[in-house]
Amino acid sequence: MKGRWVLLVAMFAVGLLFVAPMVLMVLTSFKPEAEVLNPESAIPKHWTLQNYLDVLNWSEEAPFVRWLMNSVLVSSSVTFLVLVLSSLAAFGITRVRVPGGGAFFYLVVASMMVPGLLFLVPVYFILNSLRLLDTPAALILPAAGGGFGVFLLTQFMKSLPKAIEEAALIDGCSWLGVYYHVSLPLCAPAMATLGVLTFIGSWNDFVGPLVYLDSIQNYTLPVGIALYQASYYTEYGRTLATSAMATAPLLLIFAIFQKQIVESMSSTGLKD
Amino acid sequence: MSPRKARAMLGWAYLLPYASLFVLFVLVPIVVAAYLAVMQFDLTSPKSAGFVAFRNFADAWRDEYLQRAFVVTAKFAAMMVPSLVVVAFALALGLNAMPRGRNAVRAMVFLPTMFTVAVTGILWQWFYNLEFGLFNFVLKNLGLAPVPWLSDKNIAMPSIVLMSLWWTSGGTAVILLAGLQNIPRMFHEAASLDGADGWRGFWSVTFPLLRPVVLFVVVTNLIGAFQFFPQAQLLTGGGPELATRGVVQYIYETAFNGYRLGYAAAMSWMLAAVVAVFGFLQFWLMRKEAS
Amino acid sequence: MRIRQALNGLLATILAILLVRSGWIGAVRGRTQTEISFWNGFTGPDGRVMLELIRRFNRENPDLRVSMQRIAWATYYNKLMVAAVNGRGPHVFVIHASTLPRMNRAGFLEPADFLFGPGGVPEQDFEPLVLRTTEFGGRRVGVPLDIHPQGLYCNTDMLREAGIVDERGRPKPPTNREEFLRAAALMMRPRGSPSPDRYGFALTHWQNNYQSVFPQFGGRYLDERGDADLDNPGNVEALEFLGSLRTEKRLIPPPDNQLGWIGFRQKKVGMVFDGVYMLGDLKRLEGLNYVGAPMPVLGHKPGTMADSHILCMRKGLTERERDGVARFIRFLSENSLDWAEAGQVPARRSVRNTDRFRSMQVQYAFSRQIPYMVYPPRIVPLFEMGLEINLAVERVIRGRMGAKESLRIADENAQKAIDRDRAESQAPGGSR
Repeated sequence: MKGRWVLLVAMFAVGLLFVAPMVLMVLTSFKPEAEVLNPESAIPKHWTLQNYLDVLNWSEEAPFVRWLMNSVLVSSSVTFLVLVLSSLAAFGITRVRVPGGGAFFYLVVASMMVPGLLFLVPVYFILNSLRLLDTPAALILPAAGGGFGVFLLTQFMKSLPKAIEEAALIDGCSWLGVYYHVSLPLCAPAMATLGVLTFIGSWNDFVGPLVYLDSIQNYTLPVGIALYQASYYTEYGRTLATSAMATAPLLLIFAIFQKQIVESMSSTGLKD
Repeated sequence: MSPRKARAMLGWAYLLPYASLFVLFVLVPIVVAAYLAVMQFDLTSPKSAGFVAFRNFADAWRDEYLQRAFVVTAKFAAMMVPSLVVVAFALALGLNAMPRGRNAVRAMVFLPTMFTVAVTGILWQWFYNLEFGLFNFVLKNLGLAPVPWLSDKNIAMPSIVLMSLWWTSGGTAVILLAGLQNIPRMFHEAASLDGADGWRGFWSVTFPLLRPVVLFVVVTNLIGAFQFFPQAQLLTGGGPELATRGVVQYIYETAFNGYRLGYAAAMSWMLAAVVAVFGFLQFWLMRKEAS
Repeated sequence: MRIRQALNGLLATILAILLVRSGWIGAVRGRTQTEISFWNGFTGPDGRVMLELIRRFNRENPDLRVSMQRIAWATYYNKLMVAAVNGRGPHVFVIHASTLPRMNRAGFLEPADFLFGPGGVPEQDFEPLVLRTTEFGGRRVGVPLDIHPQGLYCNTDMLREAGIVDERGRPKPPTNREEFLRAAALMMRPRGSPSPDRYGFALTHWQNNYQSVFPQFGGRYLDERGDADLDNPGNVEALEFLGSLRTEKRLIPPPDNQLGWIGFRQKKVGMVFDGVYMLGDLKRLEGLNYVGAPMPVLGHKPGTMADSHILCMRKGLTERERDGVARFIRFLSENSLDWAEAGQVPARRSVRNTDRFRSMQVQYAFSRQIPYMVYPPRIVPLFEMGLEINLAVERVIRGRMGAKESLRIADENAQKAIDRDRAESQAPGGSR
């Protein structure tokens, strides 16, 4: 059918439109400074690594590797904590059926309506009194207190039959054993969704690090790049090189987990 | 200890790790924010801090800049949400109809969603720059007049919406696509038999079945639109002439440039009230949909 | 199951990074040294010069270890403010003279009078005008490090090409209104085109541009009682002039973010007004030939806007920290000639009177404006007033409103902010 082929080509063209900015970013980051602002040709006339070398050589001003490590540390910790704590809580609410668990659940859901902006200043005061400002913990702990994970996993667990867990209990398995050996594996699809969304959200978090961190060495990538851009806004080549390097890890993750990531995203709309 | 009590203790042991963080970083901050809202709390005059009851709210109600900021935010929401739904729907329908290569294109349109705010801003600043930007370079080469993408009061907001569409429509399209694929084939076949193909089939069959997903997309994006700030912060700084300074940016500036924490907290609560209306609307509609 | 493997993997990643980090952190601590933390907003090339100075200081003072923290100016003050108010602030930090009133009232600045005089910095080496910005209720709260006036940058190749040269054929920056307008018109290419490829002049940071020009017309910020006076005849005339460059004379491009400066770097704009601190950005460029000059007299008398970086210290330091900070401040002040290289005018007259400073073309040219430079008003709600000025200028250069009407609105709103601040600084809910 001819129409189908037209559609195929058209959709690929649309897809290219979405990818083009990224391709341009990468190509331009290989251009020498003089060529950057004269976009006659998207492909560099003289390929150069200079922008990347410059960025990496100024590690004192822009400790790129540190930022990358910090980002990985923060995002991994947030993801780990959210997965473990939320699943424990959801287990307590839906399986142990603790009295007051339902009310707690509604409290958590209601709190999700409050705009994040409201939390900035109070959380700053709390982190300050805990002496946690300007540490990775300042980004990790508040994020792990967010309600989305509990909401998602509780909803998911509610929809699963309890028979297997009950059988395990009767077989003499402890509650903790049931959680670890039965419920966790059963929740795998929801956990994967939650993990992916949490990781990406944490990786891209901008306002948190901006407000709770002071030291350049403690920055995560998004604020690091923003700092770089604020200082060198006139030097597109280098700014684009930093942007490309900051985006690369996420693209790598996307390339590997493309299916899971896209499916996580799509499943958010289907929950009851 | 009675078994019931033991089970309750055990249950709370599971809840405790999360609950402690929840109390510390969600509940306590909400209480602190409520306290701040009824205080005059200026960091620049610590000596005169004190309780002022609802004066902050009364001031905010009369604050012309806050009113303008609400208009800007509403304008963004009014432009962003419908165009997002239309674009994402077009993408989803296109993807759904693709005979092959669907996953590749799906990945392509989803890709921008992975970009951090900072990188997105850097890229689009470069595209939109009046004299040295990519878009105007292309326009000039086509013999057209350059467009003041970010420096014209009436064009700046659409420019921000365009960037936001690039950034988020892939994610929304993927959600809608999953909804489309969840519709059993037989509905389409039945529609075909009735002669309801193409556009009519979409309106009479597909769209009604997708209502819950569309509802979800609309409401979550509406709530998201009311948090409008980073996009403008990166591209225009709120200009030209405050035409893109939304509520969140105004509150942020009041708190972090003017150091008036009490007043900022009061305004945050007013924004929270508006967002809550949409939140409850979503809750209510979904309930209705489910029953 | 895979989900549990994933969790273990995450945990392993976290532990691995923590291990690497602890190595980093453990490596730097010295034992007998007094740690001094120094915050500033020098995130650009100026930061590199400052870092070099600090390395030298640390070498010369083995009992001290100064560590510098740079934060982009956009967020610097709110971080400094919240940190200091919470008792977490750095020992020594930079504050712009214009921001001092605000920071001073927050109450975390240590009086710095003891830094002047024998063993410290000589008071008579500073301009009285600059010293005055640090005085509150008869006490000083800091030591001025530099002066950064706004001035004129010119592309010499473009000047020469347009035939704007002196009798010996050297490019000649304009000094008055006629020369300025002529130069702006002559450097435009193609001349008189509605969308030229090159402009003779462009606005950079239009608020600063305007504030550098209105003192020349006899304008001011405040009246004698300290109320806003943004719509006085001098301000109106100055803004009318700036607005006419775009709306009537069609000499400058439409205002856009940072356009003027990027254009100047790209050799597409012949002249811009900007601060001496932008020099660092130009120094790294190859193939751009430029000179600095005092602001041309566009009004009735010479004038420009200036500000200063002031070195301040936090209250509540230990004796050893206080002593260390004092030595550090004296060191920076004495070595401000090196700092001048980064694109600054040293605050100390003796440093400016050296041959080495005179050979710094742009810095020296800008420093000639010291006798008539104007600092922003010393009021707490300066941020709010600045925003109003910015909007007023924007309305006019976009041709949306006349200068008089636009400044009247700004004046009204700025006055509201001043009134509110007066009332609120007295008591909560103070009468309005």
